[in-house]
Amino acid sequence: MSTWEDDESSSAAAAATTDVDLLKRAWRKEKASPEILRFDSPLVSRVREQIQLLEETLDDFAESGVDDLVVSLYQMDLDRTLFLLRSYLRLRLQKIEKYMMHISKSEDLLSRLSQQEQRFAKSCTEMMEKHLEQSVLSKLPYGYDSVTRQSLSSTEDDMVPEPQLDTFVFCKTKSDVGAFQLDDIGEEVVDLVADDLYVLRYKSIKGLVENGQIDLI
Amino acid sequence: MYGRRASQLLKELDSCEAGQLAPFNSDVFDQVVRECNEHNTQFQSLIRKMVEQNLDIETTRNEDHYGAAVHHLSLLRNKRCLMAYMYNRAEVIQSFRWKIGPVLPHEIQEKLHFSEKEYFKNHSTAIKSYMSEMDIDLTVDMVPPKDPYIQVRVLEDIGEVSLGDHSISLTKNSLHFLRRTDTEQFISQGLMEEFLE
Repeated sequence: MSTWEDDESSSAAAAATTDVDLLKRAWRKEKASPEILRFDSPLVSRVREQIQLLEETLDDFAESGVDDLVVSLYQMDLDRTLFLLRSYLRLRLQKIEKYMMHISKSEDLLSRLSQQEQRFAKSCTEMMEKHLEQSVLSKLPYGYDSVTRQSLSSTEDDMVPEPQLDTFVFCKTKSDVGAFQLDDIGEEVVDLVADDLYVLRYKSIKGLVENGQIDLI
Repeated sequence: MYGRRASQLLKELDSCEAGQLAPFNSDVFDQVVRECNEHNTQFQSLIRKMVEQNLDIETTRNEDHYGAAVHHLSLLRNKRCLMAYMYNRAEVIQSFRWKIGPVLPHEIQEKLHFSEKEYFKNHSTAIKSYMSEMDIDLTVDMVPPKDPYIQVRVLEDIGEVSLGDHSISLTKNSLHFLRRTDTEQFISQGLMEEFLE
């Protein structure tokens, strides 16, 4: 109980952002981003602790016969937080399902997953490979039976589904970024002002999303 | 024409409503696989012919070279089509785990290739082990909650159920106003539905 209150009062000072708000932000970002983002492990475990505390509080309420209206308000709050958490985890799993092979071959992408997600990605990839192997590839002639390459003459993996990183995303700046270069050669420069909305290519603002200077919406 | 059959498979995928699955087309699928192997035989024999004429395979650009290239590229195209067919179906099959649950109804089972059935089962197991490692059920709460209480209609006789401090009798077609969390398991089993006026 005390942690919950402490959290609430200390975060009220810190611009009124609770862990649930942070989770909501992470969830929104994950929803809008074409590729998988870094898993916020500490945040998820904090939210889970708070959910547990809230559940215990509700149980106490039931025993001590608190007003039904209060109980249902707490219940609603709990339901929303639970939904947010489940939806966040679900979104990530579905993204992993979609790009499992692409994720599995990159150390950088793998390191963004939680340990459980890494195991999930690994077994998913193995299963998908086995499935394609026994249904299609084993029936094709030698030289054409690779999952990741079209044939022996391909010099790189050209059959792995990848996320479209140059898709456009809606985003909102949190603080002034200043003149920001959108392409490699410096022909397109945009001045990113605090609290403004933009529609930009994900690829060009990827770095800002990762270090939290910009939010996807 | 080379590659026509394979494109039929993809047209079939495309004509399906999003998230739905047509029966696995093993006829066309097997024909395309056969076509692939024929292309390969032709390709090999053209290459052999060039070798027998003591031509350098890397640099010679005669009719046999272009013939072989056509067979090679047709084979690649067929492979891409076959893989796309299987892969896209597998994606739909994955989504069934979230929408329907760990056991597929008979109508869907019938439409699957044996390997797809196996894939669905394995994929379900992977999700299940993730959920038990995380100790959270991700198959509930699929839509954002609005109200802690919802109105439901009972679709099958469930009988006497105790919810919290009281018990109610859930008979077919009766309407109830219940806690959303209590109804979730019945709704996902198809025993109840949300009643919207």
